[in-house]
Amino acid sequence: MNESFKRGAREGFRLMLPMSVGLIPWAIVTGVAMRSSGLSALESMGMNLIVFAGTAQLGTLPLIASGAPLWLIVLTALVLNLRFVIFSAAIAPAFHGQSWSRRIASSYLLVDGVFILCSEKLFNSDDPQWRWGFYLAPALWCWFVWQLGGLAGVLGAGVIPKDWSLEFMTTIALTVMLVPMAQLRTMMVAALVGGLGAVALRGLPLKLGVIAGIALGIAAGFAADWHDRRGQA
Amino acid sequence: MIEGVWLWITFGLIAAATILPRGSFILLGEGTRLPPALQRALRYAPAAALSALIVPDLLLDAGAFDPLNPKLVAGLVVIVAAARSRNPWLPFIAGMGVLLLLRKGLGW
Repeated sequence: MNESFKRGAREGFRLMLPMSVGLIPWAIVTGVAMRSSGLSALESMGMNLIVFAGTAQLGTLPLIASGAPLWLIVLTALVLNLRFVIFSAAIAPAFHGQSWSRRIASSYLLVDGVFILCSEKLFNSDDPQWRWGFYLAPALWCWFVWQLGGLAGVLGAGVIPKDWSLEFMTTIALTVMLVPMAQLRTMMVAALVGGLGAVALRGLPLKLGVIAGIALGIAAGFAADWHDRRGQA
Repeated sequence: MIEGVWLWITFGLIAAATILPRGSFILLGEGTRLPPALQRALRYAPAAALSALIVPDLLLDAGAFDPLNPKLVAGLVVIVAAARSRNPWLPFIAGMGVLLLLRKGLGW
């Protein structure tokens, strides 16, 4: 461990510390949501460790609970994670020349908060050691907070009576993620069409309504975006 | 409910569906670029997907369309709380509070 790695790690950690407090409610809620969807404590923590992605975990829980086909669950997770392709493209140059194992670890640890914090500041230095420290320390800290908060939720969920409709926490958590996105008009169009489309098409076989709704929503958002751009030109 | 070995296989596949998008450009190297039109379209995927999971839960009751139900009222309260407040706990407390009040308190 050399000096510039430690310096990067310290700087990254100091920036992440206040932001990571916001992760705690998410982690606890995800823990509670997994237990109230019917997963055991062991299965919940297994999911938390293996998947390590709040949105994908919360989004697939209703499908797991209703016994949806595997391909539909995977496809839904994939769509919920598509934003990471954009994050990955933006952050990739910072890992130029790093070993394969470090790149895999970086991929597993790339969550929204880490991207928001690190994506631009990572390029403040050309030193690969500093960059690795500046990414790894906050990313590992987020991982730790997420697992600990998740564990608190998983263990705490058992205390609350079953008939308290706790599974609704999943829908609340997804809504809280959606609201800030939908402040943008084109995002609102994508959300409205996606949501109402999924309701209208719920009769489709194999629970295809969700995926069809998502596809319609993306298309509508893209069309609104295109319309706005043409209006400006 | 998916159970036993299949549940763990499901977790593994969801994990793959997570690490592949996250790792896409980090693992392939930065030589490749996304076409701008595709990049713009991808920005709408999370909003469309979240909504496609939320709205059916708020508007459907046991698979049937039911626009007047306690979950929709609670959902609207959550939207207002999330839009107006910076407190990360408030949407959960307000949403669960309204749902429990309507279901348990009023028997709706």
